[in-house]
Amino acid sequence: MTENSSKKAKVVIPVTGMTCASCVVHVSEALEEVPGVSQAQVNLASGQASVEYDPSKADVQNLERAIKDAGYGVGRDTALLQISGMTCAACVEKIQTAVGSLPGVSHITVNLATGTARVEYLSSVIRLKEIKAAIQELGYGAEEKLEGEAALEREKREREREVRRQLINLLVAAPLGALVMLGTFQPYWFLPHVLPAWMNNKVFLFILTTPVVLGPGRQFFVNSFNGLRRGVTDMNLLYATGIGAAYLIAVINTFWPDAGFGGREATFYEAAALLTTFIILGRYLEAVTRGRTSEAIRKLMKLQPKKAHVLREGQEVEVHADEVEAGDIVVVRPGESIPVDGVVREGYSAVDEAMLTGESLPVEKKPGDEVIGGTLNKTGAFRFQATRVGKETALSQIIQMVENAQLTKPPLQRVADMVAGHFILGVHILALLVFLFWFFIGFDLWFMPDSRLILTPYVLTGMGVFGFSLLTSITVLVISCPCAVGLATPSAIMAGTGKGAEHGILFKGGDALEAISKLTTIVFDKTGTLTKGQPSVTDVVAVGLEEQAALRLAAIAEKNSEHPLGEAIVSAARGQGLDVPDADSFEAIPGYGVVAQWNGQGVILGNRKLMAERGIALGDLTARAESLENQGKTAMFLATDGQSKGIVAVADTLKANSARAVAALKRMGLEVVMITGDNRRTAQAIAGQLGVDSVLAEVLPQEKANEVKRLQEQGRRVAMVGDGINDAPALAQADVGIAIGSGTDIAKETGHVVLMRDDPLDVVAAAQVGKATMKNVKQNLFWAFGYNTAAIPLGMGVVYPFTGLLVSPELASLLMALSSITVTMNALRLKAFVPPAKRDTGHEEETWLTTT
Amino acid sequence: MADDYLKKALRVSYGVSTGLALLMGLGFFLVTSFTGDHTALARYGGASWVFTLALIIALPTVTPFVKRRIRSQV
Repeated sequence: MTENSSKKAKVVIPVTGMTCASCVVHVSEALEEVPGVSQAQVNLASGQASVEYDPSKADVQNLERAIKDAGYGVGRDTALLQISGMTCAACVEKIQTAVGSLPGVSHITVNLATGTARVEYLSSVIRLKEIKAAIQELGYGAEEKLEGEAALEREKREREREVRRQLINLLVAAPLGALVMLGTFQPYWFLPHVLPAWMNNKVFLFILTTPVVLGPGRQFFVNSFNGLRRGVTDMNLLYATGIGAAYLIAVINTFWPDAGFGGREATFYEAAALLTTFIILGRYLEAVTRGRTSEAIRKLMKLQPKKAHVLREGQEVEVHADEVEAGDIVVVRPGESIPVDGVVREGYSAVDEAMLTGESLPVEKKPGDEVIGGTLNKTGAFRFQATRVGKETALSQIIQMVENAQLTKPPLQRVADMVAGHFILGVHILALLVFLFWFFIGFDLWFMPDSRLILTPYVLTGMGVFGFSLLTSITVLVISCPCAVGLATPSAIMAGTGKGAEHGILFKGGDALEAISKLTTIVFDKTGTLTKGQPSVTDVVAVGLEEQAALRLAAIAEKNSEHPLGEAIVSAARGQGLDVPDADSFEAIPGYGVVAQWNGQGVILGNRKLMAERGIALGDLTARAESLENQGKTAMFLATDGQSKGIVAVADTLKANSARAVAALKRMGLEVVMITGDNRRTAQAIAGQLGVDSVLAEVLPQEKANEVKRLQEQGRRVAMVGDGINDAPALAQADVGIAIGSGTDIAKETGHVVLMRDDPLDVVAAAQVGKATMKNVKQNLFWAFGYNTAAIPLGMGVVYPFTGLLVSPELASLLMALSSITVTMNALRLKAFVPPAKRDTGHEEETWLTTT
Repeated sequence: MADDYLKKALRVSYGVSTGLALLMGLGFFLVTSFTGDHTALARYGGASWVFTLALIIALPTVTPFVKRRIRSQV
């Protein structure tokens, strides 16, 4: 806890990464070097640093930085809070500012669209309940976010409550607002013929408007007051000042008509009533549509089965899916959902995995195959052994990943939030300037008594300088609301990450979506990414012996090898029905080949270097080997007793969609690079068949990250596609690391994007989802900022001197509500988006590298 | 601890902001009283509106500054 005595404060900071006494010294020294720190005591056993410091010279952030700079971590607590009552980007900024300034809070990210906040804090300095209290004091609800179905239920309940609340408000405000409008315009058009004159009575309008302002409109006054109490502003304040001022003028003009606000003919009851109605309409529609952008995660959560049939002591019992333990044998019947992840032990079936991997056809399952929790068993019955349960299942990890992605803000959103957050203050300054301008300058110069408000027959004849200036000032407040700016990015990011998840493409953050949309170059690791990673023998060239005999000798030499090429040769020999005995002796020479003794003869199988080293002449075989390598095959020379006897050529198979994926990426304007450890000739041959732009050949695994870095240094924005585990350094180095074919092992994956299937077309689909999402974000931001850019000058009365037309506050509120709805509806369009790469998923024949 | 510091910061910022806003409103009132031919309502009403907007502008501007000052004095 933090303590203060005179000018000293004391804080206990959890430190991670300390392993020995020297770490203690390093951390102590680092802390004591911070100006203002008088004493730092570090305890290795408890992993804590107790620091006494002068708060006028240092703060907790300085101390944390010093620990990190020394190479250690700070054991912060992370809390996920569900925030209710947020309506706009300014609410985000308001909470972030208030909570972020609390001592002990290191970082807070608030997401408007999901209504959540992730807070990193030092529990030794501040307690979570103090953070929640700070948020509640601002006028929002704050509770710890639950997980899984409970969270789903609570989120749904809260959204429904908000929808119901705004609907009730709307049902009160809309009819009363409509009556007020009819009453206000009763003397105009044809209305005197159909409406009684008493409807225009100002006291009658006062009686109708007051419940609207004090009932449904009360929320704006309460929320803005709560914000101001903490010294922060939000959209509610814009509404409250707009509605409050319009209502106040109307009341003054009703009961003190000679006060100079335009008299009884210029009451703005309809402005106050309709302003409230339109804002509430906007909030209601937002509450309805905002829930839809998070539908993807809800769908995923719904996949989690509730029940499981487990064998316990030989008996089949029904248990809750949460109670299944790793190692349990689970029974699955046709039509049932698979409750947890596992491996099939008995039975055979076809399982629909489309909901998780995007694979459109049911996948056959036989003993030894993996099954994923949440997928649907179609035909047969089977038993499987649970391997991952609870939070470890692939489905839970996917949900976690999508949730995290939706919480992460891409750089564009951070800018938008910052702009929206500071906008409110700017709008109030603008409203003050506009008021002063029209009061002291504009009114005398341009006021026309016969001028009117846009789309109304309302003439401003009786309007005085104060009333006119106030009207424009209020209109600026209402029309400038940056709600749409705050919604523009998160609504699209939520829809985009959800769309990706539908196709088995998991973005780890909104920043990954933005980064993937800006790529210039995609680097594919060859083996296992563009090819299947399962080489096979394609050619056997024999000199002075039968081809089968040559293959058998090669297989005998390679039998004890663990190299994939050796396994391919042994497998090919067995496939031809050949007996493959053990060699009498065997030696593997990494990077060269193998040397063995069998039946009294020396057998060598390897590359040119090995043959040259052993002094074996290759003769005509060299030309033949080059020919094979030009076809993308790896040629290995066979020699017995110092004489060359032939060549065994091995090649990997290209994945069915590799060439299509490369072509599609090139059509998208991306440069496609293949990286491989193969020799240049083989690599060039494969590249030729795939159509990739360039090849990085003979690259050792550990050098891949350097190659990616080299490309980045040339100014390219690079994505690396590879195995999430073996290619981890290169994936981490790339601007976007795409881990392909993770299957159910999502948690192990590094990289910014995880593809559940090993189809290279999913890389294309990921890029397409990224581009579509960012295009949507840009459209939204364009509309949102475009609206404000166009609307604010109108609200300021820029066109009034030329046209005599002024935007009324109620029209301003309608425009503002429409801008928010436009943005949310535009984001919802992404729900219907199908990546072009996924539109035609025809299964092509596998392409052998030997097609030439 | 956190609460005490925040409460003190907010109290000070309310005072400073209200003072600034009152000055603005008073300035407006004096200018409109001695220049032009403004009605009493325009002068009083205008001064109130200027005070309200000035207070709304001052509070979020002054509060972070005051919080920083008070934190450094703790």
